[in-house]
Amino acid sequence: MRRVPWGLFALVAAGLLPLAGSRFYLYLGTDIAIMALFAVSLNLLLGYTGLISFGQAAYFGIGAYTCALLMVRAEIPFIPSLLAGGLLGAAAAFLFGSFCIRLTQIYFAMLTLAFAQIVWAAAFKWNSLTGGDTGLTGVPFPGFLDSPVRFYYFTLAVVGISLGLLRRVVGSPFGRMLVTIRENPERAEFIGVHVRRYELAAFVIAGFFSGIAGGLFGVFNHSVFPDFSYWTKSAEVLIMTILGGMYTFLGPAVGAGILLSLNMLVTSYTEYWPLVLGLILAALLFLFPGGVMGFLETRLRRRRHSEARGA
Amino acid sequence: MSLPDPSFLVIQFLSGLTAAMFLFLIASGLSLIFGVLRVLNFAHGSLYMLGAYLTYGVVAWLANTPGRFWVAALGGSIGVALIGGIIERTLLRRLYGREALYQLLFTYALVLIISDAAKLLWGTGQLSVSRPPILGGSVPVFDQVFPRYNIFVILLGPAIALLFWFVLHRTRAGRIIRAAALDREMLGVLGVNVDRLYTAVFIIGAWLAGLGGALVTPVVTIVPGMDVEVIVNAFIVVVIGGLGSFWGALLGALALGQVMSFGILILPRFSLVFVYVLMAVVLVMRPWGLLGKPLRG
Amino acid sequence: MRGVRFLGVIVALTFLVVGTLSAPGLAQQKPIRVGFPIILSGGGALFGQPALTGAQMLVKEVNDKGGVLGRTLELVVRDSKGTPEEATRASRELVLKEGADFLVGGLTSAEGIAISAVAKEQKVIYIAAIPKTTTMTEPGKLHPYVFRAAANSLTEGRSGAVFMAKLPVTKIYTIGPDYEYGQVVTRAFADWLKKLKPEAQIVGQGWPKLGEQDYTPFITTAMAAKPEAVFSTLWGGHFVTFAKQAKPYGFFEKVRVVTAGEGGSPETAMALKDDLPLGLISNSYDVFYYDPVPAHREYVARLKKFTNQEYANSWASTGYIAMQFLVEAIRKAGSTDTDKVIKALEGLTIDSPIGKQTMRAKDHQATRGQFWGTTAKVPEYPFPIMRPVEYIPADDLMD
Repeated sequence: MRRVPWGLFALVAAGLLPLAGSRFYLYLGTDIAIMALFAVSLNLLLGYTGLISFGQAAYFGIGAYTCALLMVRAEIPFIPSLLAGGLLGAAAAFLFGSFCIRLTQIYFAMLTLAFAQIVWAAAFKWNSLTGGDTGLTGVPFPGFLDSPVRFYYFTLAVVGISLGLLRRVVGSPFGRMLVTIRENPERAEFIGVHVRRYELAAFVIAGFFSGIAGGLFGVFNHSVFPDFSYWTKSAEVLIMTILGGMYTFLGPAVGAGILLSLNMLVTSYTEYWPLVLGLILAALLFLFPGGVMGFLETRLRRRRHSEARGA
Repeated sequence: MSLPDPSFLVIQFLSGLTAAMFLFLIASGLSLIFGVLRVLNFAHGSLYMLGAYLTYGVVAWLANTPGRFWVAALGGSIGVALIGGIIERTLLRRLYGREALYQLLFTYALVLIISDAAKLLWGTGQLSVSRPPILGGSVPVFDQVFPRYNIFVILLGPAIALLFWFVLHRTRAGRIIRAAALDREMLGVLGVNVDRLYTAVFIIGAWLAGLGGALVTPVVTIVPGMDVEVIVNAFIVVVIGGLGSFWGALLGALALGQVMSFGILILPRFSLVFVYVLMAVVLVMRPWGLLGKPLRG
Repeated sequence: MRGVRFLGVIVALTFLVVGTLSAPGLAQQKPIRVGFPIILSGGGALFGQPALTGAQMLVKEVNDKGGVLGRTLELVVRDSKGTPEEATRASRELVLKEGADFLVGGLTSAEGIAISAVAKEQKVIYIAAIPKTTTMTEPGKLHPYVFRAAANSLTEGRSGAVFMAKLPVTKIYTIGPDYEYGQVVTRAFADWLKKLKPEAQIVGQGWPKLGEQDYTPFITTAMAAKPEAVFSTLWGGHFVTFAKQAKPYGFFEKVRVVTAGEGGSPETAMALKDDLPLGLISNSYDVFYYDPVPAHREYVARLKKFTNQEYANSWASTGYIAMQFLVEAIRKAGSTDTDKVIKALEGLTIDSPIGKQTMRAKDHQATRGQFWGTTAKVPEYPFPIMRPVEYIPADDLMD
């Protein structure tokens, strides 16, 4: 049975968004697209390789600062700056990852957290480079993207291409090996797989795309702050990934959409958003064991089975 | 840098000990809960904050009654212990079969809920509790002074540690707890009511956090946000000491307390980065911390 | 896998439908909507909440008297959560979805900068009620749409220097949180002090990290440097924590302390009560027990009634005065057209509850001073207040 290019279809549908004529939803859509990329890149580690990263925001922040600094200080055009953001995110992931992958489970997670906090603290203190806690400001939309619509389409394009590449990665033998490693790292080691090399590679790829997401976010917000690497950002993207469903490719993207939309709705109704959001989060945790996407998938699979039986 | 006055160094050391004891109270509960339940209780800082708020509430309610601080601290910590027990029994328990991530996420949801609950009950203002009168003032130490309340805290830490040593190593219940940290499945096979054990351990951990929050009220301000401020330090302590190790928490707390105390003499403006570098270094060189045991599988 | 595509379609369609439905409708005498992003949860909420209350009271007063230009004033509030990203997102939502014509609020400096960027992007006026960072209004960063009703870090540091120079001291130690605010205020203090009293010297500086819970190492280090006076920029809850920890060391008896960051505010005094050091020289955005102008007394009475609190909160004045500037400017311009209101705001002088305030045309900053005084115990209140206290205008201290 031929695979339906569902992701492409969703992309086209998202491309129709500007027709709604509301600039607000354009901004929301841009935000969701960026966080979707961030979350899916994290899921390469989380869902596919079984590595719990508490510090993915490190690469997000590094990507954001790199891209913004190159654009503002060195006047390098957007696309090369963005790519540089991704590359530096990947480089940092290589550096930090080399240490992290020697550890397992909770220790791995803790070390990723420690590195992310170091990035945050460095950004916070290094006033001359990063602008410190008052941030790096005055990052404009690049000349050829000087309207929200254009920036939205550009973001969609970048995110679409990135997701497409990531899809290739997880569908490739490399990606399948990652899943094997997730299932049973010791067995993989026994059959001669250099588990650590695969894990490090996954870490670097995730770092690259997290950096791209960060670069987009910095330009989108016109400013970059140390907060971009703070642990709360890592927690945010982790929640999106798990809630959306870590065992499907686009689950985290759905999670990003849900969480950002939920945040907008809840904060517009009440100042007690932590209470409401916390309750909803807890409820979703109890009700949807595999995340939202996991739930939907099981439902659809069940319906297909009963249809097959019934017919 | 000229050699500092020795009495100054003594005071710095004592300050480090005070900070260490507070860290110990909150980190030990976190480590205990992780050791037995394998849950990284993100909401531990929230329990600490609840302990502080409850203590403030009782102190305010008891207005001019003598000894109100002690009553409040006891009541506050027990209150938090009960809240912890209820949470474990009714909610957390349902997630045990799932991935560890779900439990962690649940504790994160708890952080959100508890922070707003505190805001609803006590508002957003800054609140303060005074030192209990019998522990006000300070005592001379060489040619400096050191607050009496801090000395109490420094003595209380080891007292609690001793109490736990006794319970963990000299009572049957303690032996079960220690065994649970090593091999939970075996315990179930041996006929131990694992459910009740988990609840008990969670209650004890919550009590320690609540006690920490209660006792810290005379030395800090009670404000929203104190829950997340403290949890990261707690993580650093348990990492240094060893996740799951009660004594590791004590050692880690002592280490971090002194690092923070003397750090400002050696690296005055880099304390922000330094504690995370320390955490990273410990994890790289000895991941299971000073007293932890390497996780199996 | 088909479920994903299905969901994708649903999501996109939902956006389309909702987006079409929220297209702006016919504009009749619709209310003037003012977006108010402010911290309502977590660490900054203790200032954000009262700032919002002050704004809400101004809105109610204006509407009770018939509104602005015959239209009702409406405040649309969002919690900025203390992060600049959320401030950006909320500000965009306020302008684009909620139809806010103006933005007022912000608390931390980072938020102020973030909201200012949105104001520039959306070409909407933003009046900063609390952010003090000078980077918002300095040359190169200033743009037509941003205004500041709050005090700024430069004038705060310099006011501190004015008071320090009056004390018979020459050896001064500074202690402040190690981030932009603490650094800028301390530097402004040191530079101005050098001007006023060249013989004064800074014998050492303590830089606890922002949000430090244990100040004792800094307290003992400060005392070891044997200063005669200390200038602190610790604020809010941080100052309360610091004061509680420093007291048993006899810190405040050994040195004179001048502290910026609103350590002299009634809220700090009410929190600390007997733990508040006496003889402390500090500032506050407002004080309910001293009237610099007659209008202040009525303002305090109204605020007490509005909030049902016995002691009016000093931070309410920030939201109130920021909104006042906006309302007066709209009235003067006779319209809500952004460019006309900008022109009206520049050079505008209003009669605020604390006296005349002028929004400078050259850098869009208000001449917002603060109340400075020395803490003392008084029989009238169950907590110390500042007595003597005076309002120190900022006019001569700004560049």
